[in-house]
Amino acid sequence: MIAPFSEVLVVAGILFALGAFCAVVRRNLIMIVLGIEIMLNAASIVFVGASLHLSNLDGQSFVLFILAVAATEVSVGLAIIVYAFRRTGSFDPGNFNLLG
Amino acid sequence: MAGSPAHSVDLAALLAATALPFFSFLAIIVATRGRPKVSAGLSIGAAAVCLGCSIGLLAFHSGLSAPIEFSTSLIASSGLNIPFGFLVDKLNLLMIVVVSTICFLVQVYSLGYMAKDPGFSRYYAFMSLFTWAMMSLALSASLLQLYFFWELVGLSSYLLIGFWYEKWSATQAGKKAFVMTRAGDAAFFIGILLLFIHTGDLNIAHLDSRSALAGVPPSFITLSAILIFGGIVGKSAQFPLLTWLPDAMEGPTPVSALLHSATMVAAGVYLFARLYPFFSLSPTAMSVFLAIGTISMLLASTMAMVSRDIKKVWAYSTISQLGFMIMALGAGGYFAGVFHLTTHAGFKALLFLCSGVFIHRFETNDVFELGRLGARRMLIPMISMVLGAAALSGLPPLSGYFSKEAVMGSLAGLPDHVWLAAGLCGVFLTAYYSFRLIFILLFPRERVSGEPEGAHGAAHKAEYGAMALPLIILSTVTVFLGFFETPLRHFIGVAGEVGQAPTWPHTAALALAVAGAAVAWIEFGRKGAAQIGFVERIEPLHRLFAERWYIDHFYGLLVNRVVDRGIARLCELNDRKVIDGSIDGLCEATVESGRVVATLQTVMVQYRLLAIFAVLVLLALYYYY
Repeated sequence: MIAPFSEVLVVAGILFALGAFCAVVRRNLIMIVLGIEIMLNAASIVFVGASLHLSNLDGQSFVLFILAVAATEVSVGLAIIVYAFRRTGSFDPGNFNLLG
Repeated sequence: MAGSPAHSVDLAALLAATALPFFSFLAIIVATRGRPKVSAGLSIGAAAVCLGCSIGLLAFHSGLSAPIEFSTSLIASSGLNIPFGFLVDKLNLLMIVVVSTICFLVQVYSLGYMAKDPGFSRYYAFMSLFTWAMMSLALSASLLQLYFFWELVGLSSYLLIGFWYEKWSATQAGKKAFVMTRAGDAAFFIGILLLFIHTGDLNIAHLDSRSALAGVPPSFITLSAILIFGGIVGKSAQFPLLTWLPDAMEGPTPVSALLHSATMVAAGVYLFARLYPFFSLSPTAMSVFLAIGTISMLLASTMAMVSRDIKKVWAYSTISQLGFMIMALGAGGYFAGVFHLTTHAGFKALLFLCSGVFIHRFETNDVFELGRLGARRMLIPMISMVLGAAALSGLPPLSGYFSKEAVMGSLAGLPDHVWLAAGLCGVFLTAYYSFRLIFILLFPRERVSGEPEGAHGAAHKAEYGAMALPLIILSTVTVFLGFFETPLRHFIGVAGEVGQAPTWPHTAALALAVAGAAVAWIEFGRKGAAQIGFVERIEPLHRLFAERWYIDHFYGLLVNRVVDRGIARLCELNDRKVIDGSIDGLCEATVESGRVVATLQTVMVQYRLLAIFAVLVLLALYYYY
């Protein structure tokens, strides 16, 4: 392996932090979903790195499942977002507010 | 229950007499409402069968010695047995004949009176209901059963008084009759319950034979007797619940005839006679009854003296005649009361039916107007009315003379002569107001302007014929019933009847009746009379009588002050503040708490995300170190 495992972890950590930042700060539902995807991918990177580091292919096969789940999750999430957009005419989560 | 053939014939007759009107009521309501002729036929047929059965029973049992009872248990539990069935004795044999006769005649009469009325079938349905209720009331075996039919009588009279429900005053009068009699009925029911709690036996025969009352303290008997009498006061329109009866004149005239003679108001006096042995156990209660009868009799007579409405005059006279009956019963004259009830049923029905003919023909109730329009040209009703009024005043040889003499005889038997004096005074007033009305009708001051009868074509003649026939029958009864006093006395055969009373009260009563008629002649009859009564000359007295002694005003005030502003207001406050308030409070509390909790919902989904991250990071830090 070219890069040491610790650096992989650092990159994945940075990516995760970026994703979390995006999900929390952006006021656009699509960007929030995107942030969540990035966090998911950061976790995948850790899996791949760990699988190389430990010479065990379980981690890599796990990532394949994560990709499949991410794809379905995005499709469902986008459908919800489209529906919400039709209802309210906006992507701003601050407008989805029936209680207040 | 005995099983001999004679008994089963009796039972069949009783069942037919009580059940048929009910079935005709059901049939009319359910099936034949659109066909007036069929409805009238059903109802009159049922009444005719009633009449036939009643007369048959009376003829068959003319020598009845002990009451016959057919009953099954309605409620039977430990120590509690309420019978339901028929109790036949002499009193109610007489009563059912009176009731079914009047019901039958009034229904025949209504063929003419109610012709072309849109509610014709409905009218006959209610008539059947009324007949059923009254027949069953008369034959009831237990006090509870009697009470049941008692209320049904009240209901059907409510329906019939308010029969023309488009008329505001008619619905009001119906309501008034219902509510006022209900006030009395409440007392009656409390009385029944008290009696039931203390004796556990509501069988009328047991109460009358006094076997159920052994060991009951006399004060308690007085109390329950007075409470039961409350029902009689309401039903028979005695003081202080007398004002519903004049208002009940809003109903069709045949209804008034039925109501005033044989059914509604007679039910009260009948109950008194029914429970006479029970009531007579308490001398205190009896003197209370005597006083109430006297007061009602005198009050109503004075009211009748100034009324211009032909039906109201007869209504007041009904109250005063009922007062006479209650006085007679209260004074211990069982036969006198029952006999007066019987004769009164005949002549009062006659008077009302005659007035009905006039009202139907001339469409006004005002006596002076009727006289002016030529009421005296209608021979049959006019002659019948004179006969009826003479009977009401107690002139011989009509039925009223004999019964009123019997009443005076029983009053004369009392040690205190105040009652007799009041009775004689009532006799004078009765003759005065009856003949005042007759003279106004017969000798109108202005020229008679109406055309003679029979000028209205064949349809009118047919109606008139249906109305005239009952008049002729009732006039005949009025003329001849009096001569059956002795056989009836033997038939009713009461022990403890007042003995040979002195004859001077009889003579005095007759003299006063004649004097009353003479005063009426001087003031209203003779040529050149001003047709102004001596009461009308004294303005305050006239107003007092015309306003019915302000009893209605008093009730109005009472209802206004106590019920409307007192009880109703308290109820309203309770409703608004306590019930509504608590529910509103609960709702508002829920909404408020929801609002408080809702502030936790901070619109932005991302804040929660942030919180999750923060917590996770902190947890990670916590576990790491």
